[in-house]
Amino acid sequence: MNDQNPNEQFDELMRRALRDEAHRIEPADALPEIRARAHAQRRPVARRPWLLTAGVAALGTAAAIGAFTVFNGNDNTANDGDAVAGPGTTTSATGVLPSQTPSVVSPTPSPVPTAATQPPATSPSSAVKTAGPTDRGVPEQSVSSAVVPVYWLGQQVGVPKKSAAKLYRTWAKVSGHPAEEAVRIMTTKQPEDPDYYSVWRGAAVNRVTRSDDVVTVDFKQLPKTDLDPDLARVATQQLIYTVQGALQDDTTSIQVTQAGRAVQKLFGQVDTSTPLGRAQAADVQALVWITSPSQGAVTGSKVTVEGTASAFEATVNYQLTNLKTRETKKSFTNTMEGQKFSPFAFSVLLTPGQWQIEAYLISDADGSVTNTDSKTILVK
Amino acid sequence: MAQPAVVYEECVTHESSWDADEALTAVYTAHYTSLVRLGSLLLRDTGSAEEIVQDAFVAMHGRWHRLRDPHKALAYLRTAVVNRCRSRQRHLVVVDKHTPKSLPDEPSAEQAVLRTAETDRVIEAMRTLPEKQRTVMVLRYYGDLSEAEIADTMGISRGSVKSHAARATKSLRQLLEQNA
Repeated sequence: MNDQNPNEQFDELMRRALRDEAHRIEPADALPEIRARAHAQRRPVARRPWLLTAGVAALGTAAAIGAFTVFNGNDNTANDGDAVAGPGTTTSATGVLPSQTPSVVSPTPSPVPTAATQPPATSPSSAVKTAGPTDRGVPEQSVSSAVVPVYWLGQQVGVPKKSAAKLYRTWAKVSGHPAEEAVRIMTTKQPEDPDYYSVWRGAAVNRVTRSDDVVTVDFKQLPKTDLDPDLARVATQQLIYTVQGALQDDTTSIQVTQAGRAVQKLFGQVDTSTPLGRAQAADVQALVWITSPSQGAVTGSKVTVEGTASAFEATVNYQLTNLKTRETKKSFTNTMEGQKFSPFAFSVLLTPGQWQIEAYLISDADGSVTNTDSKTILVK
Repeated sequence: MAQPAVVYEECVTHESSWDADEALTAVYTAHYTSLVRLGSLLLRDTGSAEEIVQDAFVAMHGRWHRLRDPHKALAYLRTAVVNRCRSRQRHLVVVDKHTPKSLPDEPSAEQAVLRTAETDRVIEAMRTLPEKQRTVMVLRYYGDLSEAEIADTMGISRGSVKSHAARATKSLRQLLEQNA
């Protein structure tokens, strides 16, 4: 160690020694335990991007993270090859000048860090309640009563027709298996709001089961209609949003099957051979919803309208029309935050009669109406 | 009807391109091993390091909606792991005073065989350092962190990082030269 570069030599010795020491440690896989504990702790709020299956998403993001790892790249599990080099080759394997190979290195075979040297008993005691993923999904729990969201398609105003369907949500009271019942409503019932529709009519749900990482929705019969790609995509999300909403789980992917088997193409477009993830709300959800009052509601004269909108500069316009007298009230309100889905509310005093409530967004570009939702109510 | 609507709304209005599970899987895949190794170097106890790192990942998952960014998530994990290791160590120091022989870091026989003499000398020398100095050295040489990153991670000033590193370097060099 009395060479000309004592600082560099010291740095290099430290790096090499700590890395060698570190590489003797091969922790056992703990992801299932961490995941189980994370889920036991709280329900996550974020969601997965459009149509990435869990595996693909994980690979992609892991690769992205690998690109900016702050730790030595050698530490990534994928690249541990150099760790098994003998002491003589260690330095050259990591691109260090061979002249710095210390003479004091003993001829001991090498720090071989294999998983085998690490007894599995070292997994910590804290990770107790992880269940191995169940092979078979379990059916949903039956409830006597639950309120579940059911999603529908709604046509958009002012945009080319077919591609413009967006998701709207209604609430339904169900008993039994919430997700199964929600899908049953989505596939068999006519939504109360005449502006909403479903391309799932004719489909018949069999049952909904869930295992650790996937929810399976099995149909006796899937819809046979072929749709254009955009509509098929949104219609698939209609199912995913409905099922995830009923299960109160935004994150678990949905596997669609028919009579227990994966089908090739849903609506002639969507590959359902692997589980499907939830699309971002901004991509599929209508930008403005009236969440209360519901279609056909009977109210007093003071009406509070509530909704959710993703509005440019947070502005939501509304118009209320008495369907008999044509009396109109027109104004605007703000969502709590702009540019993202955020709640809005406003209150009005209405004369008795049937009123139509419309909430809409106006294009910043040309002033046209871009998104609407409307409800008809009866004011007593 | 309003109650579930409100609760559910919070979920629906929340946007992020990666969900917490994805982020967890991705960050885990990329960094779990190195974080356990980092913790083991600090604590000299792999079992405790695993436990601490797992706790940190659970916490990261819970706050993903606030982090939302794998860079931040990694910084968060690193800080959590370092802090927890440090407080565990301080606790162990107290325990050690009463039971000096039952150090948790005594390497098992098979592990000892695998360590090179050089590594052995460095690790033994590191053991003599005070906790802060050792942490700085581990973050610098194993974590490859800059002075600023070390300061952020440990919650100390850059000046302190410098002086801890300088003192540690001095002691280590002396020790290593003695034994060389």
